[in-house]
Amino acid sequence: MLSTVQTPPRLLRSPSAAASTLRCIYTVPCCGPSRSPNSQILTARKSLLSRETSAVDLAKSFCERLRRTEPQIGSFLHVPPHETVLKQAEELDVKIKNGDRLGPLAGVLVGVKDNICTSDMPSTAGSKILENYRPPFDATAVSKLKRNGALIIGKTNLDEFGMGSSTEASAYQVTANPWDLSRVPGGSSGGSAAAVSARQCMVALGSDTGGSVRQPASFCGVVGLKPTYGRVSRYGLVAYASSLDVIGCLSSSVADAGILLAAISGHDKFDATSSRREVPDFESHFVSKDGFESKPLRGVRVGIIRETLGDGVDSEVVSAVHGAISHLEELGSILSEISLPSFSLGLPAYYVLASSEASSNLSRYDGVRYGSQSSGDDINTLYENSRGRGFGSEVKRRILMGTYALSAGYYDAYYKRAQQVRTLILDGLKDALERNDILVSPAAPSVAYRIGEKKDDPLAMYAGDIMTVNVNLAGLPALVLPCGFSVGRLPVGFQMIGSPFDEEKLLKIGHIFEQTFEGGECFVPPIL
Amino acid sequence: SRRFAAKSSVLDPPDVSRLAETARISISPEEVEEFAPKIRQVVDWFGQLQAADLQSIKPALRAADAEGDNLRDDEPQVFDNRDAMLSEVPTYEDSYIKVPKVLNKE
Repeated sequence: MLSTVQTPPRLLRSPSAAASTLRCIYTVPCCGPSRSPNSQILTARKSLLSRETSAVDLAKSFCERLRRTEPQIGSFLHVPPHETVLKQAEELDVKIKNGDRLGPLAGVLVGVKDNICTSDMPSTAGSKILENYRPPFDATAVSKLKRNGALIIGKTNLDEFGMGSSTEASAYQVTANPWDLSRVPGGSSGGSAAAVSARQCMVALGSDTGGSVRQPASFCGVVGLKPTYGRVSRYGLVAYASSLDVIGCLSSSVADAGILLAAISGHDKFDATSSRREVPDFESHFVSKDGFESKPLRGVRVGIIRETLGDGVDSEVVSAVHGAISHLEELGSILSEISLPSFSLGLPAYYVLASSEASSNLSRYDGVRYGSQSSGDDINTLYENSRGRGFGSEVKRRILMGTYALSAGYYDAYYKRAQQVRTLILDGLKDALERNDILVSPAAPSVAYRIGEKKDDPLAMYAGDIMTVNVNLAGLPALVLPCGFSVGRLPVGFQMIGSPFDEEKLLKIGHIFEQTFEGGECFVPPIL
Repeated sequence: SRRFAAKSSVLDPPDVSRLAETARISISPEEVEEFAPKIRQVVDWFGQLQAADLQSIKPALRAADAEGDNLRDDEPQVFDNRDAMLSEVPTYEDSYIKVPKVLNKE
């Protein structure tokens, strides 16, 4: 499907392979001569340390591109004046000049989803009830970004409180998919996915409760990484469903997702659900493909989830995912088909659990201690009016559904049964992962649909989460990589699911896949 | 344990106005009209859970048991940015958070 906007000619493929990478940083960070993506983080680090480029020049190129493309895409809810970022970049250049020790994310431009608290920028969670809210603290993931030298370029758009799969439920604006501006970027981390896709930032943080990092990654042709529940602290992530929420990474290469994950992971005393497990050195796996063996995935057991490649999935998605699976086989992996009979039950179970937990988590928004307040003659009216005016329709509906499911006498029928389904899904996936190294499925049953197409049909919207929710129910890590296009040039992503806390294996396999996959052109959208 | 003959014969369907009252959200009559069918549709769809055979399956509270002892000592700590926190309160006067009167309801 052609974009309705005239796109400027592509300026960016450098004819000379040697100069292409560096020039790419200034123009559009894309691919090396072989079309496999370069790590923007590693390339920037190398250029900064060798003084080939300065942090200021790097920041300027992203700020300029953001300014140029933002009117059409609308990924960001807040972008501080570019001077702020440039000043931080200048300070970094001084450090580099002095030979000071730099963090692994030094000079890296990052977008942060607006449901992750930043004390120096508003954090609205995409809702009017938090309009202009400025948290008095940084989320742990944000503190870690800053401590590692990252430069936060802005806060990205999302479906309100993370509730949605298209970013259309933002109270502020709709974000367009950089591949086709008439289509959704996916959700709820649509702003982060679009920003990475359009190279408005190098990497971005999102959150994933039912697929909200992975599905937009698929729709926007970028890499999406959902860590194991407990790998990254949730302190400062505006809670939607506390047993399901995680903070995740969006990037243009697997290496960048892994480096970003390493920087934000780790035990946090402020999050009782965060794991004390050591964070492996993910970065050591991102070796150049010249160092790969001929069958680098020899012996890797790949389980293809039967229920994800049949009815209800677009044929173009099935075809692209089969292409990815063939490539995995070419690399030496052993394929088998696995079946998860409870697979489709996961979707209603997820929505019962998520709505129920949300109804509890969102009860804190009462207009009294923070956020927007609407007046009332008595306290209850103040609560009712503040919430009635501050929350959008989808959020209200989910709170009401959750309230219903948790009502006295209804617990057995809904919530308890959803938790029982959770056990079935957990056991089924655990079982499959004992016999396989990774499981594979599409990331979404379709490519990006048109803005407005599913907005008024909640069940149609929810159905799009079928590929992703079970992973959240089981708390597992998953990695989404672009693997092809539809006939209309819309990206398709496939999903690899791993064992708990085994992001290392996912990243290693993902990196090898990505660096050797010749799926066609580089995943840079035509808007650039 | 209770048995459910059909998905909605024992349970009352959602009463949107009453739920809104419970959840302390004011919704207009137009919203009630708009939301009710959508909510009913989703709740009917939840009915699949009642049709499933879940005998003797343990409910899972979360994905996995919390890893080890993750409780910190019960010691109060001073928050280092009290002013910023208080500046976010919509109606803060003379070190009180001001709200309208709290009536006794039956």
